[in-house]
Amino acid sequence: MLFAQILVNGVMLGGLYGLMALGMALVWGVLNIVNLAHGAFVMLGGYCVYFLFTGLHLDPFAALPIAMVVMFVVGYLLQRYLLNLIIRSSHLNTLLITFGLDVVLTYLAQLAFSADFRAINPTYAGSNVTLLGVTIPLVRFGAFLTALVLAAALWVMLERTRLGHSIRATSQNLIAARLYGVDPAQLYAVTFGLGAALAGAAGGLYGMVSQVTPYIGATLTAKSFVITIMGGLDNPFGIILGGLFIGIAEALAAIYIGPTFTDAISFGLLVLILVARPARSLRGA
Amino acid sequence: MSNPLLTISGLRAGYGAAPVLFGLDLKINEGEIVALVGSNGAGKTTLLRAISRMIAAEGSINFAGKELMPLTPEQVFATGLVQVPEGRQLFARMTVEENLRMGALLRRDPEGVVRSFARMYELFPILAERRRQMAGSLSGGEQQMCALARGLMAEPKLLMVDEMSLGLAPVVVDQLLVVLSDIRKAGVTILLVEQDVFAAFSVADRGYVIETGHIVREGTVAELERDSDLRKAYLGVA
Repeated sequence: MLFAQILVNGVMLGGLYGLMALGMALVWGVLNIVNLAHGAFVMLGGYCVYFLFTGLHLDPFAALPIAMVVMFVVGYLLQRYLLNLIIRSSHLNTLLITFGLDVVLTYLAQLAFSADFRAINPTYAGSNVTLLGVTIPLVRFGAFLTALVLAAALWVMLERTRLGHSIRATSQNLIAARLYGVDPAQLYAVTFGLGAALAGAAGGLYGMVSQVTPYIGATLTAKSFVITIMGGLDNPFGIILGGLFIGIAEALAAIYIGPTFTDAISFGLLVLILVARPARSLRGA
Repeated sequence: MSNPLLTISGLRAGYGAAPVLFGLDLKINEGEIVALVGSNGAGKTTLLRAISRMIAAEGSINFAGKELMPLTPEQVFATGLVQVPEGRQLFARMTVEENLRMGALLRRDPEGVVRSFARMYELFPILAERRRQMAGSLSGGEQQMCALARGLMAEPKLLMVDEMSLGLAPVVVDQLLVVLSDIRKAGVTILLVEQDVFAAFSVADRGYVIETGHIVREGTVAELERDSDLRKAYLGVA
């Protein structure tokens, strides 16, 4: 039973990880930017939901869409007026810029919100559902479901809508996309905004199952990176699977090796995967 | 007299410090098929890139009464000047249907788009069979059909087709040339850019010959075919 419980814990956490990585994978696949500020967006989303919950007494799940809209706007503006200026430059430059952005956002968050730990604790935070002897905290279950719903929504958007087709077309062939009417400056800003919105949702959920501080970003960026490498850039469900894998691996490591080893496990896996499945894992071709 | 649809004058373009086109003049009338022929490296693809505003250029490009110089590629597309680029440039990991839908990206007439789909599947029955397949998995000929169909889905006023015949079997090229004649009858003006002079002249009304960034000959296809220099250089007959 213990093993089943660990597995369930891992799956619940993994769904959230997957959601976190979705935004990074989307931006990476379309803009070819590895956004090192992605974890900082998660952090900002967490604060957004925290203040909507404590200040306006909104239910945190109801606050998620608002946090997503706020983060979409933040992401859109950053891409439109900052990152679009350097999008054609080398990977090293975009890494440096987004790293700088991460440092700035972390520092601003510390100034604005202090370094205190903030947890989003709705009244049902302690509630559990018990299923076949396995206990599932209600909040974690909600976070897991939200992650699945958002991944499905992203998939439907990419497969079925005009915007989704433009996003995929641009990621596959920028020149042809421009020849067929896609304005890349606008499309990149929207895509980056969507990535930030997904990060914002993940941040709100993260604040419910854990705590938000200005410093959670770096580790979450790195985990999103690992999951993106595992899941590939083409399919949102691949990313969710990657998230589940990391979540389960961490849950197992926490019990059988020790809770301090969870991060080491993620990055150990990264090294193993890069060796076993080199660059191929990034793109289908 | 005929109505000029595209008028290019004094066009200069190149890549960085390397000029490729040296003051080029070219005119396409409404309803024509014009062939632009020349050997590899003469500047054909550079000309199309300049017209589609993919590269920096000087001079004037007037299309349907509108100056294209200050526009971006996506704005040029919106004017109804559509390029089928060299090497097809399909969206390889999208289905044939999704590729065609991308051609109709800016259209806001859903019924018209449905009609265009039906028309494309009638022109290219093989695409109907393959419509759920990834474009990257098609054969070379099917990919070229998909690229042409994607361009036509935009309902272009002028379709510029770059090196359509490249790497295709002659029988497939003939098939595509028949389609081009058909769509011209439907009112689409066509600029056909080709190394294969025989193929291009078999459907074109007029032709331009480009050599190292200059137009060296122009005229009706009948005139060009009588030109003895051209016969030697491009048609391989005396």
